Amino acid sequence: MLYVVRRLASTIPILIGISLLAFLLSVISPGDPAVEALSMSGISEPTEQEIEIKREELGLHESLPVQYGRWLVKAVQGDLGVSYMTKESVSGEIMRRLPVTLSISLLSVLFAVGLGVPFGMLMALKKNSWLDEAGRFLALTLVSIPGFWLAISLITLFSEKLGWLPTSGYGTWQHLVMPAMVLACGTCAILMRLTRAALMEALNQNYILTARAKGLREPSILSFHALRNSLIPLITVIGTYFGSILGGSVIVEVIFALPGIGMFAMDAIFRRDYPVIQGYVVFTGVVYVMFNLLVDLSYAWINPQVKLGVKLK
Amino acid sequence: MLHTKNRQKIQTIGLWLLSLCLIFTLFGCGAAPEPVASQKANELASNTTEVNPEEVVLAAPRDLAPGTQDAYYTSIILYVWEPLLTAGEDGEPAPKLAKSWQMSDDGREWTFTLQENVLFHDGEKLNADAVIANFKRYEQVSPKSSPFYTLDSKKSYPGLKEIVKVDEHTFTLKFENPQPTLLYAMVNFSSPIYSPKNFDEKGDFNRLPQGTGPFKLMAHEKDQYALLEAFDGYYGEKAKSKKIRVRVIPDPDTRLSALKSGEIMGVMDLGAIPPSLAKELLKDDRFEISTAKSTISHYLHPNGKKAPFNSPAMRKAVSMMIDREQLVQELYLGYPTATANLLNVTSPFYKDFAIEHNVDEAKKLAAEALGGKREKIDLIVPTYGLNRYPYKAQAEWLQAVLSELNLEVEIRILDGAAFKDAQAKGEYHLALATQGLPNADPYTIFTNYLASDGSSNKSYSLGYKSERVDALLGQAKNTLAMEERRKLYDELQAISVEELPTIPLFNDASLIGNNKKISGYQATIYGTTLPQLEWAK
Repeated sequence: MLYVVRRLASTIPILIGISLLAFLLSVISPGDPAVEALSMSGISEPTEQEIEIKREELGLHESLPVQYGRWLVKAVQGDLGVSYMTKESVSGEIMRRLPVTLSISLLSVLFAVGLGVPFGMLMALKKNSWLDEAGRFLALTLVSIPGFWLAISLITLFSEKLGWLPTSGYGTWQHLVMPAMVLACGTCAILMRLTRAALMEALNQNYILTARAKGLREPSILSFHALRNSLIPLITVIGTYFGSILGGSVIVEVIFALPGIGMFAMDAIFRRDYPVIQGYVVFTGVVYVMFNLLVDLSYAWINPQVKLGVKLK
Repeated sequence: MLHTKNRQKIQTIGLWLLSLCLIFTLFGCGAAPEPVASQKANELASNTTEVNPEEVVLAAPRDLAPGTQDAYYTSIILYVWEPLLTAGEDGEPAPKLAKSWQMSDDGREWTFTLQENVLFHDGEKLNADAVIANFKRYEQVSPKSSPFYTLDSKKSYPGLKEIVKVDEHTFTLKFENPQPTLLYAMVNFSSPIYSPKNFDEKGDFNRLPQGTGPFKLMAHEKDQYALLEAFDGYYGEKAKSKKIRVRVIPDPDTRLSALKSGEIMGVMDLGAIPPSLAKELLKDDRFEISTAKSTISHYLHPNGKKAPFNSPAMRKAVSMMIDREQLVQELYLGYPTATANLLNVTSPFYKDFAIEHNVDEAKKLAAEALGGKREKIDLIVPTYGLNRYPYKAQAEWLQAVLSELNLEVEIRILDGAAFKDAQAKGEYHLALATQGLPNADPYTIFTNYLASDGSSNKSYSLGYKSERVDALLGQAKNTLAMEERRKLYDELQAISVEELPTIPLFNDASLIGNNKKISGYQATIYGTTLPQLEWAK
């Protein structure tokens, strides 16, 4: 418990650090949010006087430490501010978009784990057979396919040719299948290779020899002895992967017209919408830190020999 | 024993993970509550082979209903709200909610008479009081940003002193100075009218927009779709389709696939279908393309504040070197029209000028301006143009063409904010740019680009200064007679063609595509004939 509290407390300076870094990167990037807010239509350019009034309204005339401090004070109270462009609440917009990103992320994890781990097990079990060769080739192919190309190919096949799935949008489970497949593709390949390698190492251990000597069947040895001891690297990959895709994926969201968090952040970056960029960075930071913590906690749960928070002498 | 314990633990992990994934996936899918009608339509849309006869589904690259904080809530092309005045096919101001008008002799008072028997979608009646409430909102929120046009009453109605109700359907606008071209400034986005009960205390919308248009906005899911329903109480010709859903599909390839799969019946809005994809669509006889003139112009901005484009001769050399017809044919498949004029072709004041393309003369001018040396320059391209237009190919084409003038062009692709910043700071040589027509009165665009202190002139570092132009603009401002004003505008256009503060390339074309299962769907100057759209018989 103490370990969890300590870890959670340690995230505070991390979050302040990344939000400060994001703020500094935003302000040193060329472009003025006041100009962006005044010329969204691109039809006419604002005058210098209009820009000054807007800068005042947005609080951009203040010094950088004051701007950042003001944001930070509100952020610790749970208020991430409002967008310079849309005037809508940043936290409200993140929460509105979260279900979209969350559902795709979970389904893609399901795909990646559901296909990657069993295939990896099969490859380890049939080591150096044609099945193993084919699996390695498949893994190499999956990890090499560019996401945008796969997305367009899937749309052509499943929507245009077969008419099985909608090309884009959000609302039913069918809308999630292709985006999740695209997101899962690379990680599925990594999990195949990782499962194979981890299992092959575990299968050479003495306890496996003992299990075999006891007359246990091979699938049982693989599933309940070798796999359990191979879970730590797999969970590390799955946890960090999940944390990263919860930050949104711009390419997948644009191609499949999904109103997720990635597109929200990208628009904000292009328009120098500082409150949105800050809010996004804090959100993804929290998610990433939480997943890393969960991964660490899972180590102790999977392997009772692992003691968290204990310094080795 | 250990075996059983292990099995249980792994089964528990597996079951927990699986349950969590399924619960969150289902939670995610169901998290955005939709009206029952929308859910049914979504179910139908998900099966791409089925078509809902009650509803036509279209798609646009962006959300055409940005919401309550937007100046208009929806774009005018959804036909939810209507302006007092619209633009006719000739670009001249035409009646919409205002059926007639009268200017006082001194040009300081304009009296408008409204259409009668017009209802807002919430049942309120259109009358002078409703218009006055809208004008008060303009004043309260201006300038109010929008992805379509900025609502700015100070620019549209400069020096407006008061608005007076004459009778139930008549009102008068009183100005400090004569406003002879007021009608041109009032067209479309400058005079939107909503129910007076549609605003909150800040002047933002308090619910879905309650306009007078042939369609009501029934539901809107941000960045996903806008659901329109024909308004039974519409005073004019009623919309032919009962329901139209406009989905947001940002990627042009996905929009094309959605069209081909039958998921959507047509596309709309700027960049609805890039020319290269239009060509591909036409190979399939299930589809058709419709095109119209557009208010968008494409320019090549020169940085007139530094060498080599501070030299008028060098700007002229570039302009003469570019074969605009070839550019339009090769990269835009001939849909747009080449031009040398700063003013867009849809303006009622547009004048046609011959396009001068003379390679030898261009080389001679460039050699003189550059002193025979080879100059390194950069050409900046905005990322927002890449999805809508073949800007990357256009930049490469220009790179090849301009190398013949001894210009070594380096292409830099910049995001929107960085692009504007580079222009404002003058950290560029050439820039690819698009320009929409601010309103039907060319005075605004001439002032922006040609006046010494014009906002575009300064923001794009065009560095253009002409005493003659400043005098002509001052004269135009105080000229009441339209014919006199037209002459001044003609001269301003001629000067812009000759002196090239910016280098006009072509007037864009509105390009839309649709499945032949629908009919009556045509491109217009700004939008489509949405109310005429219906299932083909």
